[in-house]
Amino acid sequence: MIGEPEVVASETLVEGDRVSLTFPARGDLVVLARLVSSAIAARVGFDIEELEDLRLAVGELCLLALQGSDARHGDLQLEFTISEDSLDISCTHGGAAPPRGSGNEEGAEADELSEQILSALVDEHGREQEDGSVRAWLRKRRKGPLA
Amino acid sequence: MEQEFRIEDRIDRGLSVITVVGEIDVATAPQLRESLHGVIAQGQATVVLDLLAVTFLDSTALGVLVGGLKRCRELGGELYIVVADARLKKIFEITGLNKVFPIVDALAEVGAP
Repeated sequence: MIGEPEVVASETLVEGDRVSLTFPARGDLVVLARLVSSAIAARVGFDIEELEDLRLAVGELCLLALQGSDARHGDLQLEFTISEDSLDISCTHGGAAPPRGSGNEEGAEADELSEQILSALVDEHGREQEDGSVRAWLRKRRKGPLA
Repeated sequence: MEQEFRIEDRIDRGLSVITVVGEIDVATAPQLRESLHGVIAQGQATVVLDLLAVTFLDSTALGVLVGGLKRCRELGGELYIVVADARLKKIFEITGLNKVFPIVDALAEVGAP
């Protein structure tokens, strides 16, 4: 008789844990950020819908950090920080980027859509430019505290 | 890590249909743009974009779709989106694009020209 599958504890990341991921700032590698965000979201107890929201949001975060660059220079540095009631994610691109909306019409449209998607899926988000680097960040609160 | 991504175009009941398989993101959206613009440049003012086998869609992809829609409408046509997955529909809803594109659940719901 086949029994119930063993339930594996997924909450293996706890308050104070930090995970970093650095990869070349290329659009074809943004999938790495999405994969890692899904894995981390599952390990801090987000449900499947929140996990999917985060996967999409982190992709948009990377796009905002890459925005305006030629996406072929520098690295994207993602940092995931787990706190009691939220997951904070920042994405920093060391390559210099011109101001928002400086691309073509389609690019400007996509930037606006990125903002809309992040506004709908996460609790807080922002984008800063300093010393030639761009940092986009988000905060997704959990429905309940860490177990 | 390499995931399947495929674009096919065909004529179905007189309609120009583009079918996409896989994830449409910043890496693959240029291929969709090329295909969409290519079909429109051939004189197809109305295009049906079949996203039933698409598993992920980001803002870059949506930007390509909006650009395609503008081109279709400039020619007096339309860009229909076929999508059934709740996750993908949610992306259209949160961006308000569900009110901009004609979105249907199945290809059969798009009337022949």
